[in-house]
Amino acid sequence: MTTLDAGAPPNRSYRANWGVMILGWICMIFGLIIIAGGIWLMVLGGSWYYALAGLGLIGTGALLIRHRIEAVWLYLVVWLGTMGWAWWEVGADWWAELPRMFAPSLILVFVLICIPALSRRR
Amino acid sequence: MSRLVSPLALGLLITPAMVLGQQSPAPSETPAPQPAAPDQMQAPTAGDTSAPDAPDQIGARPPQPEYEIGADWPYWGGDAQATRFSPLDQITPENVEGLVRVFTYHTGDLPEGTAEGKYSPEVTPLKVGDDLLMCSAMNVLISVDAATGEENWRFDPGVPNEAIPYGATCRGVAIHSNSDAAEGAPCATRVIEGTLDAKLVAVDAATGSPCEGFGENGTVDLWQDIGERVPGWYAVTAPPAIVRGVVITGAQVKDGQAEDAPSGVIRGYDVLTGELLWAWDLAAPEQNRDGPPEGQVYTRGTPNMWTTATSDEELGLVYLPMGNSSVDYYGSNRSEAENEFATSLVALDARTGEEVWHFQTVRHDVWDYDLGSQATLIDYKGTPAILLPSKQGDIYILNRETGEPLTPVEELSGLPKGTVEPEFISDSQPTSAWHTLRKDRLEEKDMWGFTPIDQLWCRIMFRQANYEGFYTPPSAERPWIQYPGYNGGSDWGSVAVDEERGIIVANYNDVPNYNQLVPREEADERGLTPINEKQSAETAGSKAEGAGDPQTGSPYAIEVNAGWRSSLTGMPCTQPPYGGIRAIDMATGETLWDRPLGTARRNGPFGIPSRLPFDIGTPNNGGAVVTASGLVFIAAATDNLFRAIDIETGETLWSAVLPAGGQANPITYEVDGRQYVMVTAMGHHFMETPVGDEVMAWALPHD
Repeated sequence: MTTLDAGAPPNRSYRANWGVMILGWICMIFGLIIIAGGIWLMVLGGSWYYALAGLGLIGTGALLIRHRIEAVWLYLVVWLGTMGWAWWEVGADWWAELPRMFAPSLILVFVLICIPALSRRR
Repeated sequence: MSRLVSPLALGLLITPAMVLGQQSPAPSETPAPQPAAPDQMQAPTAGDTSAPDAPDQIGARPPQPEYEIGADWPYWGGDAQATRFSPLDQITPENVEGLVRVFTYHTGDLPEGTAEGKYSPEVTPLKVGDDLLMCSAMNVLISVDAATGEENWRFDPGVPNEAIPYGATCRGVAIHSNSDAAEGAPCATRVIEGTLDAKLVAVDAATGSPCEGFGENGTVDLWQDIGERVPGWYAVTAPPAIVRGVVITGAQVKDGQAEDAPSGVIRGYDVLTGELLWAWDLAAPEQNRDGPPEGQVYTRGTPNMWTTATSDEELGLVYLPMGNSSVDYYGSNRSEAENEFATSLVALDARTGEEVWHFQTVRHDVWDYDLGSQATLIDYKGTPAILLPSKQGDIYILNRETGEPLTPVEELSGLPKGTVEPEFISDSQPTSAWHTLRKDRLEEKDMWGFTPIDQLWCRIMFRQANYEGFYTPPSAERPWIQYPGYNGGSDWGSVAVDEERGIIVANYNDVPNYNQLVPREEADERGLTPINEKQSAETAGSKAEGAGDPQTGSPYAIEVNAGWRSSLTGMPCTQPPYGGIRAIDMATGETLWDRPLGTARRNGPFGIPSRLPFDIGTPNNGGAVVTASGLVFIAAATDNLFRAIDIETGETLWSAVLPAGGQANPITYEVDGRQYVMVTAMGHHFMETPVGDEVMAWALPHD
């Protein structure tokens, strides 16, 4: 790792893990798509869930890219919120739970796998 | 053979009626029923005694003996009442698991050239004596040994590919036995079909040879007096009804082309000679009863009957499930007569073609809610009744002598009228308060997908559309949601009725359509032209009905997203189930059981089969058979399974994988004491199941 100038971001004091970076960018891109669509849906009078979830996903992505452990906590909030919302909307209708919970849970697994590569702020 | 007249006499009879077009004695004025020969009739009593006895001649006859269901499956709907109930009971809920395949017969009729992607055969054979009698997608008539699957004969009427309207479909054939003919005489029993190129074809059931006395060498041309011949615009896909010696047929007029379209006229022909006995042109019933005046045609663009009518030998009536006018999604230009009869069940006197009663299921239909199901004759608490399922999912029971409802009909009022033609849209509609298959209105949370992203996209589509629930009127400035969509509720597969147990078995679709009217200017820019202005038939038929139909003559074309697929994934925007099957108590109209029909094994995102065995509930087309032993046999779903269901519980007891889509009504029959169940696996372009040419039968193994 090259030594950086004093003006460089202070938190590059970790070893970049490409897996975490990729997951971070995936969260970021999906988050941007979902927040854009979610705001559109809100304007049309629909659910606010997507805009909020999109925001959470962007935050998770940004933290992952910076290898911050807070990404895990933030994503847990998003995931638990998603679960609560999904249950409120459709309950134990498993076909209806599929689009709501499958992909977010898959991302949760990947986020958890990232934990060893994430750093705590000292 | 006394009714078979010489060609000369036939010519004399036909000339005034069909060439000069009028002034011949109307059959309605001279009904010519023959006294029933007592030894051959287990004849039902005529409900109408007004018909005077007349000398032996061509024309309507007294009640004809009805074929019995049991060993045979003599009518498209099973028995004469179209109940799809078989008294056979060798295959039971206990032993059905032991079914083995007895034979697979290949018709050899598979799409070639321009027919590629347009096959939807929907074929259901009849079984009479030792034979299965059927048509193929392109109307090849075939007789097959019902026990072995060996071909007896075939007759190809030579239907060209260009005649395919929307799909190559021949749901079945009808038979007629001439009780005056000597046994073994040619065409003593005849098989009659209507073809895609609009012919009635009659052949000898024993040999497949054309019945020479019927029309010209066994063929009657239904294009007569319809107007300019545009292949594919006017096509018969359903078996004709035969009542008292009159063959009655309508035709499919390809939807959405133009207001100036072929007529929806219903015509009755003598079953032996093919002579036109009467025509029912709903916009000119008196003037055109014997055909239009010379140089004129039947009233253009009127509602047609593309599905199967029900015969009533006893009352001498035929019940016609009528569709909508040619332009489905815009109505302000329709005539009073069209508005009166569109989307109605119409009872005609089969001897004269006169209307006896009609019952309308939609007022001013702008949703393509054609009546698609064949109605079923039942006894309802002691009254001769007719059971009518609709695409909206409503099930009506009517007095079949008068058309009066016997079960409660409710009025929906205060319905939205929209901005396109608020003067035309009806603010009230009838629904059945006795039973409906229709589900609650859609909400945003019913949107589906595989991931949150495509679910979100469908929610945006939902919010972008006009949707005010059932009967949301068409709109042009933005899409509108039509739910249920035009595929039902109940479609051509109809319902099955077990009168002994008092149970109706109804399979149904549960999918919306996502539609938008296209202003004429935009339609012109997109090059949407009707079938008569197209240079080739290359593109016709391969798309879903209504997907870019020009509706020429009206201010709007129509864009239908059938089943409302996501533009991202091709998956449905609404959550499953997309189809189900239900048992209904005939005494109360209450649901006994209801379950999704069809597994997820063939469906998945981007068209990838998920192979999931779960009952997701797929769209389905094709009806059920019920048996005295308490089994329901049905294919219909897009999972390519043929299954046996316990009528008491709704549980699947047996299933077999078909090599192609089973979008056809199954049958059951008996040969030499052995019960068979049979279904055709031929696929369906609109249902997106693989095409095949198989006719398959199962039975219990020999001991």
